[in-house]
Amino acid sequence: MDFGFSPEQQQLRDQVRRFLDDESPLERVRTLMAADAPFDAALWKKTADLGWQALVVPEANDGLGLAWEDVVVVAEETGRSLFPSPFISTAVAARLIAKLGDDEQKTRWLAPIAAGLSVAVLAVTEENDLPFETGVETAARSEGGRVILHGTKMFVADGMAADLLLVVAREGAGVSVFAVPADSPGLARKALKLVDTTQRAARIELADVTLDASCRLGRPGEAAAAVRDALDAEIVARAAEMVGSAAAALELAVEYAKVRKQFGQPIGRFQGVKHELAEVHVEVESARSLTYYASWAVDHSTEAARHVSMAKIYASAAADRAGEACVQTHGAIGFTWECDAHLFYKRGRMSRVILGSAGWHAERVLAGYLDERIPALDGL
Amino acid sequence: MDFSFTPEEETFRNEVRAFLAENNPNRGSKRAHGSDVGESDDDFASLPKLLAWNQALYERGWVGFSWPKEVGGSGGGLIEQMILKEEAGKARAPMLGLSYMGLAWVGPAIIQYGTDEQKQRFVPKILRAEEHWCTGYSEPGAGSDLASLQCRGERDGDAYVVNGQKIWTSLAMWAQWIILLVRTDFTASKHTGITCLLVPMKAAGVTVRPIKTMNGDTPFAEVFFDNVRVPVANRLGAEGQGWDVTKTALSHERSSISEVTSLQHNLDDLKELARRTRVDGVSAAKDPSIRARLAHLDATIEAMRLNGLRFLTKQLRGEPVGAETSVNKLLRTKVEIEIGRLACDMQGSYGQLVKGSHGVVDGGRWQKHMLSWPSVVIGGGTPNVQRNVIAERILGLPHDA
Repeated sequence: MDFGFSPEQQQLRDQVRRFLDDESPLERVRTLMAADAPFDAALWKKTADLGWQALVVPEANDGLGLAWEDVVVVAEETGRSLFPSPFISTAVAARLIAKLGDDEQKTRWLAPIAAGLSVAVLAVTEENDLPFETGVETAARSEGGRVILHGTKMFVADGMAADLLLVVAREGAGVSVFAVPADSPGLARKALKLVDTTQRAARIELADVTLDASCRLGRPGEAAAAVRDALDAEIVARAAEMVGSAAAALELAVEYAKVRKQFGQPIGRFQGVKHELAEVHVEVESARSLTYYASWAVDHSTEAARHVSMAKIYASAAADRAGEACVQTHGAIGFTWECDAHLFYKRGRMSRVILGSAGWHAERVLAGYLDERIPALDGL
Repeated sequence: MDFSFTPEEETFRNEVRAFLAENNPNRGSKRAHGSDVGESDDDFASLPKLLAWNQALYERGWVGFSWPKEVGGSGGGLIEQMILKEEAGKARAPMLGLSYMGLAWVGPAIIQYGTDEQKQRFVPKILRAEEHWCTGYSEPGAGSDLASLQCRGERDGDAYVVNGQKIWTSLAMWAQWIILLVRTDFTASKHTGITCLLVPMKAAGVTVRPIKTMNGDTPFAEVFFDNVRVPVANRLGAEGQGWDVTKTALSHERSSISEVTSLQHNLDDLKELARRTRVDGVSAAKDPSIRARLAHLDATIEAMRLNGLRFLTKQLRGEPVGAETSVNKLLRTKVEIEIGRLACDMQGSYGQLVKGSHGVVDGGRWQKHMLSWPSVVIGGGTPNVQRNVIAERILGLPHDA
């Protein structure tokens, strides 16, 4: 029994933290926010040199073949630095390709991902904003050995940065996943404007995009379980980012509370301030425990869904509360553009609304424990 | 991360399960793990069963499982301790030993600070549940600020003469002994003037006055000391060392697994209650707001379990664990309060009925819960004290006052 990270994972964390502190302090994050670029290609290359994109790519495909725990180690740090990059999106895509792809497909798409030459992302959610089990309307139809995709994807994280989109589409009675080059004829994408400008998302229109059948990952209509696995892995990694940003927001608030004086003393001495920060600490530590466990669960447990949703519930609440406490502790300066508090506040509050509603996650926690299973999860 | 156990640990787990299958007096009962003290009317009826349970545990060396073998414990490791507590918890067994305060507070302090005579005199009787203890810490003027206590111990020849009052003394009515903090030096700083004494409750000059709590029970008392003579031989540790003696008398195990299993049982029962209760004519189990609250409780209890495992891992790796345990204490506060509140909310108008009333739900168990949480929430440091501990010792914010 050991519920902690290995010395190697600790080293990875230290290395990532050092890199981000040196290469992507918040001033640089702000530059990218203002630039409106889909991502920082120069930094992406540097992170590839450190092996980030290769983490979960199998060794046979030039990757490191590590576990989802390792992605979570990096993600907690990218959250701490609010580092804008398609790191998680690409790791999720790599996980899905590794699960569904045949040897030829893995060679074709995973090696460039591992080398940092390709940004691949998963495109699942649609304008109806439903869980994919019930929400996929994008359709795939076959015509003479070719596949034609038609539909619209929304909230595709890092969709503008991607050169390869893994599009989930309805095919027959189930869903399939198609690897679609971003420059395919008929594919149009548009950047969405987000509250949290350290993140990127896109709307993607597929107007009869025609592909070779070799772009289908796995057997027709049988990808639902693998897509659910990839989405759960994504939720855990983003929960780790939320934990990281929550911890950083708390740190910022604590440091300010130590130095800001009113009534002749540091405001951190007042229980009205210190008790809220203590409560945030409780939330952050709890979110951490749940997220770490969920990162193990997605690779090892048959009850991953329950643990992933617990992690999401707690991590989003921690990030939200920490961001808000950060603004409030700073007082008036806390809602100026100049102060970094709002960056964490925006990340935190938006954590609540992404990746499934609170009610949906609550249902996954209860499923099989309070009553019968939820129909939404049995749909496919 | 590795959540598996070694073959030796699995063997131990099987041993514990076999033991419980044979000796657990709560076999087949629905009562929550650990809810065997002062919480139900049949306590005294079940006493012979509980004594037999203690005896069976004692023979295995499982009372005081982590205590050294020299004093009658098992010298058990952290993982085995967790396995024992976890299995006992899952089986809804009574606590692992009946001399609760003796096991939680007094034994560890005597083992660390006691003389050989004190160890031989007191420890075996705690393990065999032959003597029960209470703790004389809080005073009317010294609650959260415990170190400001004023109960006096004046040296007079080979004895201390004790005068003063203690309060919130759990189980004082049934205890044969009290571990008592007195001020022996009024000129020293507040923490260094305190001395720890072991005092028989039947000593001349000791008066116990039970205090009734809001649930109607009398789990604790005021204890008055009027010129009580305590032999110097009954001092635990050196004069002026009383504060350290108390601080170290904490459990050596941080996984809080016993609390967690007990809370999980309460949650399971709460879900079961939801399935057979109707709110506005609809099953409570179908009410979205109740479902959301149940899910949140579930996640919080799981967070406590996992926080405990993280602390335990730190201990196993030899890293210091200190103020972090306040995190789970605060979570437990929220969970205990919410369990009682949610259970009563689900019952609608029936939520106002207590035991003995026509129509009462589950024998009034949930109402009792709703009226009992302060004993674990206020006892051992109020939530506000825990928040101070976290803010000051973990976050490094300045001390108040």
